[in-house]
Order: sequence, then C-alpha cells, then structure tokens
Amino acid sequence: MSAEAPRADVHHLAQTDEAAMFERLSRSNLVTTWKWYLGVAAAGAVLLWGVIVFLYMAMVGMGVTGYNRPVFWGLYEASLVFWIGLSHSGTLISAILRLTHATWRAPVLRGAEAMTAFTLVVGGLIPIIHLGRNWRVYYALPYPSSRELWPNMRSPLMWDAMAITTYLIGSLTFLYVGMIPDLALLRDKSAGWRKRFYSALSLGFRGTHAQWRRYHVASTLFAILIIPIAVSVHSIVSWDFAMAKVPGWHSTIFAPYFVVGAIFSGIAAILVLMIVFRKVFHLERYLKLIHFNYLSVLLLVMSLLWFYFTFSEYLTSYYGHEPNEMRVFWYKFSGAFAPYFWTMVTCNFLVPLILLSNRKTRTIPGILIASISVIIGMWLERLIIVVPSLANPRLPYPTGIYIPSHTEWMLFLGGVSVFILGYMMFARFFPVISVWEIQEGRQESAKTVTERITSYMPDPQPRYTGSMENE
Amino acid sequence: MMNNKLIDRLQILSISLIWLLFTGIAVWILNLIKESLRLHDAPDASLGISLVAIPVFFTLSSVLTYVFIGLRKGRRKDVES
Repeated sequence: MSAEAPRADVHHLAQTDEAAMFERLSRSNLVTTWKWYLGVAAAGAVLLWGVIVFLYMAMVGMGVTGYNRPVFWGLYEASLVFWIGLSHSGTLISAILRLTHATWRAPVLRGAEAMTAFTLVVGGLIPIIHLGRNWRVYYALPYPSSRELWPNMRSPLMWDAMAITTYLIGSLTFLYVGMIPDLALLRDKSAGWRKRFYSALSLGFRGTHAQWRRYHVASTLFAILIIPIAVSVHSIVSWDFAMAKVPGWHSTIFAPYFVVGAIFSGIAAILVLMIVFRKVFHLERYLKLIHFNYLSVLLLVMSLLWFYFTFSEYLTSYYGHEPNEMRVFWYKFSGAFAPYFWTMVTCNFLVPLILLSNRKTRTIPGILIASISVIIGMWLERLIIVVPSLANPRLPYPTGIYIPSHTEWMLFLGGVSVFILGYMMFARFFPVISVWEIQEGRQESAKTVTERITSYMPDPQPRYTGSMENE
Repeated sequence: MMNNKLIDRLQILSISLIWLLFTGIAVWILNLIKESLRLHDAPDASLGISLVAIPVFFTLSSVLTYVFIGLRKGRRKDVES
C-alpha cells in the first residue's frame, strides 16, 4: 500500500464489513475449543516420551543409538538437515513474494513464516541432542573459560551455529514485525488479559500514515536482508559435508543442491500446512484453489530442478570413476541403500511429475499426496547423503551397518511433536492468516496490477483515421 | 495511561536487549580474532565470519530500531491529537 493512499485505521477496520473477515480469521485466537486441548495433549504426550528417552540417553551415553564404527552420523544429522531445509521456504518465499508484490501472497505468508520459526527451533535442538555430553553445550557459547578453550571457528559446525542463530533471530523478527498490525486489531477486539497481552505486543500501533509508511519501509528492508541469510544458512549446512574429503560429500555443487532441496521440501511443507489449516479453520474462502495451484506449479518446477541437480551430482561421480566414490555410488544404486534411493527418486520426482503436471490431478487431494510424497522423499535424501558415505569410508574399514534405534526414532518423533505443539500454540494466540494483508490486497491489488500491466505493456498507438491525405 | 507506560517500558527494554545481544555477539567474535592472534592460531575463519555476521546483526537491529521509533512517534502523535 502506498504511503499516500488513504487507509482505514485499525479502529475503523474493526467496525466495517471487513469485521466479518476478521472474526473468521481470528476466531482461533479468541475462542479455545476442546479439539485444541486434545491436540496439545497428544503432541505433549509424544514430547514427554521424547524427553524421557533423551534423559535416558544423556545418562547412559550414545551407545543406545544405532551409531557404530565407521557410521557416527545418522538419523540425527539427517533430521538436522531436513528440519533446516523445511525452514527455508517459509521466510524465503515470503520475502520473495513481498518483494515481487505478488498479489496472491496474503493468505500464504503468515503460515509459511511461522513454519520457519518452529522448524528452526527443532533443527537447532538436534546438534545439542547429538552432542553426547549435552551438558557441555556451553563450550560453543562465548564462555570466558579460564582454560582458554574457545570455539574453533575453522569448523563448519561453528559456522552452522552462527548461521542458524542469525536465521532464527531474523525469521522471528520478520514474523513478529509482519504481525504488528494484526496484533493491534486483536488488541482492539479482545478484553482482560488478552487485551494487555496484545497491547504489549502491538507496540502501540494505531495505523497512522506515518506508522504505515515506516512499517512498509521496514518490511521491505527485512525482506531484502532475509533472502541472503536464508540462502547462506543452507549453504553452510551443506558445507558441514562438502568441506570433508569423504566420498560422496566433497562436491562443489552441494551448496546450491542443498538450497534447491531445502526450497523444494519447504514448499511441500507449506502446502501440507495450508491444506490442514483450510480444513481445520474452515478457511475455504481465503485459501482458494488458485493459491494451491500457484504453489504446486512452483513445487513441480522445484522437482524438475532437484532431479537436474541429482542427475548432475551422480553423473559427475560416475564419470570420474574414482574407486572410493564408486563404492558409495553402487551402495546407493544397487546396494543396501538402493530401496531408499529409488523410493527417494519416486517420491521426489515421479509422484510430483505425474500428479502436478496434469490439470485433472492437480486438485487439493492430488497436491496433498504430492507434497507428503516430497516431504518423505526429501527426508530420505538427507539420510542417503549422510549414511552411505560414512558406511564406505576411504580408510580400510569393512562396510558399515547402520540401523536407527528406538531412541533415535523417539527423538525424531519428539522433534515432530515440538513442531506441532509450537504451531498449535502459535495458531492459538496469533492469526494464521494475515488479516491486514488480505484487507490491503482487497483495496490495492486491482490498482497495483493495472499500474504494473500499464508500465510494461507498449503505449497505445494513436488511432489510424483511415485518411491517406497526410502521408 | 498505565498501559502506555508499560508499552513504553517494554519497547525500550526489548530494543535495549536486542542491541545488547547483537553487541555481545560482535564483541565475542572480535575477541575470538584477538585470541587467535595472541595464540598464533589461524584467525581467517573468525575474520571471515565477522565480516558477514557483524554487519548483518547491526543491520537487523537498526531496522528494528527504525520500526520501534516510528511506532512510538506515531502513537505519541495519535495520543496528542
């Protein structure tokens, strides 16, 4: 919305016909249902079991995992890359859609940004879980040790810590700043402790011209800033692997390959969340088929791009025919990991290609199946990157065997429950769809689109009068 | 009125904490460089990270401060009018 355009302040908005829309979109923030409590109890129970398993592992040691020489990274690291990957699309896509003024973006942004925050929290917990002696996590912090022990910044794992922290802070700020006008609306509609809660969070936003102008400048700056941060985070996660001279890892295309995979899985996760929200909160009027259609076409494009990167990666290994690389190659293609590898190709490439390239199957159920398929496929991809390379090292070890234990699976499920619980809490207190952006979209979109089309289409020629006399 | 005072204090506290956190991170990284030089270790990684991380953190906090100051000014004008 331009700064000069007349705009309704937040008090006015609550009294107009937009109020009905606000009622619908913020209902979950003002009313608590038994289903919400049931969901929280179920996710909380899984989380509690995960915490018990974690405490047991902390007491008895990492021997309760399936790790065994030479495979010392497994499900935890695959999950770390997976969760950080999921975090990508949220803020990144939101920032890109904001900067490109995509007029259909409004119902998609908030859910995507919140996803980034919670997936990053889960991803950030995994290195601590994997640490073994978890109580020594403070070694990575700026702790003024008398023994002069400082974190070694030459290790990509320390780069990870820096990158994930920066991205988490940036994403939370991006999410929070994007919610301020909606928090002001909730403040004006609520009473009691809720009013105080939303008053404190809305920072006195009143919707004046000056506030909106500054708000839009800041949103644009945040969007510009967050894109390179997002790209750098998954590049750094890829360098955890690519900087090591391990067969199958030491690759120059790992950074873009990981970024593409991250955006791919992130879009799939956004689609699943949008379909769930649409069903649970009855948002059929706001999350329309066209939103799913746009995002699913993007998912299809990312699927093709992922296949291209995967093909390039393995073709280069095969053509080089270096013996250690070939051991890993055949381990994936026809060895112990072949079932996982070919399932990954099916889930990430064939299923989306079949379902999303055909308009008849590009329906909500079709998109849901394709998205779940991609999430499973991308999780398998992370596992396939981590384990086969460690199971076939350069050193003369026999081929390793890795079977994840009950502890690892339970901690993985605990991570899933942290995500679900966090998201449920978020949906309980904050609107999952940006009310102010939908309102802004309704008021401004037609004008914006007309202006944009006029700006890039050729100017109309003077009409030919039919007279030849002047020529 | 009480509410406005509370909001004022919360705003000032939150923005101060953000600056404190980001300044702390910058000081920590600079200290890592100093330590690596003193111990004749390799400072290149710390230098590289500081070149990226410190400007990013300070840009983030500057934009946040810009938002907070803008909202405070807007609220004051609104209350006065």
